Amino acid sequence: MRILLVEDDPDLSRQLKAALSDAGYAVDHAPDGEEAQFLGETEPYDAVILDLGLPKVDGVSVLERWRRGNVATPVLILTARGAWSEKVAGFDAGADDYLTKPFHTEELLARLRALLRRSAGHAAPSLSIGGLRLDPRAARATVNGEPLRLTSLEYRLLHYLMMHEGRVISRTELVEHLYDQDFDRDSNTIEVFIGRVRKKIGADRIETVRGLGYRLTAPAEELGGAAT
Amino acid sequence: MTLEALSRPSLVRRLVILAAGWTLAVLLVSAIVLALLFQQAAIRRFDQGLAELIDNLTAGASIDDRGQVIAPALTDLRALRAYSGKYWQIAEPTPQGGIHVLVRSRSLWDSELEAPADIAAQLRSRPGQPVSYDTRDELGKPLRAMATQVKLPNRAAPVIFMAAEDRGPVDRDVRGFITATAVVFVLLGVGMVAAVVIQVRVGLNPLFALRREVASVRRGKAERVVRVYPTELAPLADELNALMAHNQEVVERQRTHVGNLAHALKTPLSVMLTEARQTKGSLAGVVEEQAEAMRQQVDHHLRRARAAARTQGSGERTPVAEVLDELSRTLERIFLDKGVVIDWDAPDDLYFLGERQDLLELAGNAMENAGKWCKAKVRIRTTPISPERFRLSIEDDGPGLTPEEREEVVRRGARLDESAPGSGLGLSIIDELARAYGGSLTLGPSRLGGLLVELDLPRAEA
Repeated sequence: MRILLVEDDPDLSRQLKAALSDAGYAVDHAPDGEEAQFLGETEPYDAVILDLGLPKVDGVSVLERWRRGNVATPVLILTARGAWSEKVAGFDAGADDYLTKPFHTEELLARLRALLRRSAGHAAPSLSIGGLRLDPRAARATVNGEPLRLTSLEYRLLHYLMMHEGRVISRTELVEHLYDQDFDRDSNTIEVFIGRVRKKIGADRIETVRGLGYRLTAPAEELGGAAT
Repeated sequence: MTLEALSRPSLVRRLVILAAGWTLAVLLVSAIVLALLFQQAAIRRFDQGLAELIDNLTAGASIDDRGQVIAPALTDLRALRAYSGKYWQIAEPTPQGGIHVLVRSRSLWDSELEAPADIAAQLRSRPGQPVSYDTRDELGKPLRAMATQVKLPNRAAPVIFMAAEDRGPVDRDVRGFITATAVVFVLLGVGMVAAVVIQVRVGLNPLFALRREVASVRRGKAERVVRVYPTELAPLADELNALMAHNQEVVERQRTHVGNLAHALKTPLSVMLTEARQTKGSLAGVVEEQAEAMRQQVDHHLRRARAAARTQGSGERTPVAEVLDELSRTLERIFLDKGVVIDWDAPDDLYFLGERQDLLELAGNAMENAGKWCKAKVRIRTTPISPERFRLSIEDDGPGLTPEEREEVVRRGARLDESAPGSGLGLSIIDELARAYGGSLTLGPSRLGGLLVELDLPRAEA
């Protein structure tokens, strides 16, 4: 297993490198954002440990550039800043896990193992319909290459609609799929999620078939079609 | 108003008392002067009547051969009826300084018009000039009298012509005038004092408006004083704005300093922790223990610094749905292995009155807590309570807390200053922040089976 460690503090880098090597990983070290970006784009790493406060290019920007360049390597973020705004920014940029400094090395190793296990799991094929792409392995979706920011229920809905592209799916069927078996009264209605997903992927992607349900279709004109 | 409030100097009271005192004094003096003038005028008119009577007497009087004074036949009936209130008499001064009555009107019957003891001397010093005085007739009616000493042809000794009339009607007129004047002036005074009060309140209105604006800044409803104030107050409003901006800046700078310090400490702490773990011996144990304590202290004070800065309102508003969406995505990633599903709902036009970062901390910590304890499900709902407040409820399907445990958590939250940093539930942070926003945190049982956390938070207009 090959790991990229991106950390600017020399002492912490030395320690982490030693701990990772002891745990049996091959470790490459990048002390700044530029080098990290280059290594991440060119070398096939199994995972990246990325510090956010980096010289030259900050961690979040490095991560965003990787994800835009279709680098899907799982990334564990390390940061001194534990505010939720920073966590949200990190995950929205495409992070897979987050660890706040100071931490115990054991915890870092445990998180790394979980991350690697997850990414090695079921290699379900990705779905693609007219610019809309969904990668079940990373549980991520993109529209025209732009990452979509979906909650788990929204993701489930989109996934189900994409798996049954072109078919009309009833509300009942969607409810059953979204909420498992113990669907309770207070749950959001399907309309709420359809509304949110439409807002994120474009309103014309999901068609309402009156009295029957919903259907996901590829837009008639690819990409260039103005959604008027 | 309490006694204390009354003893404090008040601008309104000072202005009202000054203006009212001045107004009332002017009114009082004018009323007295008016009454006096009226009385004088009335008496002058009255005296003219008496002078005419004396003129008629003088003109008509004649002296017979024996030197006796013969009074003219006057037609005024009142002078004929006994004690009618209109009298005349003709007298001569005696050598003793008194007067001796020669002829008198029928109305006097057998009485005489009283005169001051020194009347003869007075008349002698001013021959031909009338002398007026007040007296009473036999029945006790107040009289106004007039006497003139004249020398008649064919008579060596001077003759005094005297006339008097009941002054009761004049006195009644004067009293009536004074009463009417008093009533009118009292009404005028009340009206003017009321006008002064209104004028002062209206005049000072911008001051009250400024106070209200400053209060709303303090409560976080506005960022600065924005109304246009009169020239006298505008500099004060500007100074207040500058002061508030300065305060904000100082707080912001402090917060940044604390944040920087805390974050700068974290990497060295990581290094120390790691190094200590890899080393055997008692020193390593102490270092690890102390580094851990330092980490908790840093976290604790960092949070406190953030929460303390919240008392400074910024007037910012944050869309709730957006924040819940962001946090749901993030937390579902964090709890990906567990497969946590977050079901949130909030209207698009619901806004939190406060900084985005704070709503993220409030909801983020509560949601993370729920994610940690739930089996698989977290539900978030929003309920508007009033135009100014809304409730954010976060519940999970985990084991929850017993009523006793909930009480314990709330009790601990009530005295945050003493509570140890790094409390297990992370609710103290939420509680502290919610309080800084004038809100509250309540715990209860969830219908999903776990804990229900309810936050009462300020709401901004859509």
